[in-house]
Amino acid sequence: MAEARVNEYKLHFLVLVLVALTEFIGTKKISIGIGVIALFPMLYALVLGGAISWPKFKFLSEKEMNVAANILGVSFLIFIAKLGANIGPELPKLLGSGVSLIVQEMGHIVGTIAFGLPIALWLGLKREAIGATYSLDREPNLAIIVDKFGANSAEARGALGVYICGTLFGAIYMSILASILGSSGLFHPISLAMGAAVGSGSMMAAATGSLAVIFPEAQKDIAFYSGAANLMMSIVGTYVCIFFSLPVTQKLYAWLEPIIGRKGASSAAEGGRKSA
Amino acid sequence: MNQILTIFIIGFIALIGNWIGYKVPFMESLPGILLLAVITLIGMGFTRILPFKSPVIVWISLFAMLATSPFFPGNEYTAAAIAKINLLALATPILAYAGLSLGKDVHLFKQLSWRIVVVSLVVFTGTFLFATLFAEIVFKIQGKF
Repeated sequence: MAEARVNEYKLHFLVLVLVALTEFIGTKKISIGIGVIALFPMLYALVLGGAISWPKFKFLSEKEMNVAANILGVSFLIFIAKLGANIGPELPKLLGSGVSLIVQEMGHIVGTIAFGLPIALWLGLKREAIGATYSLDREPNLAIIVDKFGANSAEARGALGVYICGTLFGAIYMSILASILGSSGLFHPISLAMGAAVGSGSMMAAATGSLAVIFPEAQKDIAFYSGAANLMMSIVGTYVCIFFSLPVTQKLYAWLEPIIGRKGASSAAEGGRKSA
Repeated sequence: MNQILTIFIIGFIALIGNWIGYKVPFMESLPGILLLAVITLIGMGFTRILPFKSPVIVWISLFAMLATSPFFPGNEYTAAAIAKINLLALATPILAYAGLSLGKDVHLFKQLSWRIVVVSLVVFTGTFLFATLFAEIVFKIQGKF
């Protein structure tokens, strides 16, 4: 371990208190014109945790926050085990939905690019747009971009920007999005469950959690299908990113940038951070 | 090993959450949590001894599926024990740890341009919406719902 010793028990204790407190408060549903927003323990835990770690309070050191991020990864593994255990008893059902599993995976890949790239270009991003929109930009995707373009490249800056936003408010945003899409009545809970497996632990937990609150009767199905979609993502995700998403995004960028891109907005002015 | 202890501590926290939030008595959750912890550890260990790099999530998923599938000895007990652990009780600790790690990125965020923030939201929306839409279309074509 390169890092100096951090008292992990402080973190575990805080989480224990957060979990006990927020589970005690329980789920609340708030109706807002376009749908129902589900407020539930994990969201309170996220927000309260965020308040505790707010740098101004100096309650947690940067090292402790990094350790918390590592433990977050470990805790997601137990969640994964639970999702897998939901699939096992009904393994044949998994094979029965093979086609939709593959197609929804395409949706995960296409969605970031088809939706993100044109808007990024329209907003005036240059090569940052490639890194920002070729994937959801979690750790493995960042590694791919840095490996290919270098840590100081415009592409890496774009990817890092989305990564930071994802860490900071990805989970909250996903849970709101899941609530709105879920209560819109446009989609079946099973489709939404597959969509929720976006390839980020905290975002997926928040999205599937929201769905489970909105469709309590479909909770088993939600766990089943989001688990299956997540498994699919974790098996093919990295390879698809390297061999498909990234080259396609680059091609589309070369084609679309002269059409949608803003003239005069220089690459260096966008994305903010110059060095990663 | 530190991570083994970490897994059991997280398991304990989830157990408390499962008890307070979902009214499953402590002792009733215990076997399920222990099984989840053991499956997770086997997956982590297996990933480590493999001669090539592979995502740990894949192995944990596969071992959990295997342990609860109809051909595995004791699968019914395993599945029933794990079914007692509410999915949300396992998700709350994840987001609590996520919350405690948020502060480290606040200063990075302040250096970002607003455009990248907008693009992020669009990217998050795109991946969720398109995957949902594609799945919905296939299920509709197949006549599943």
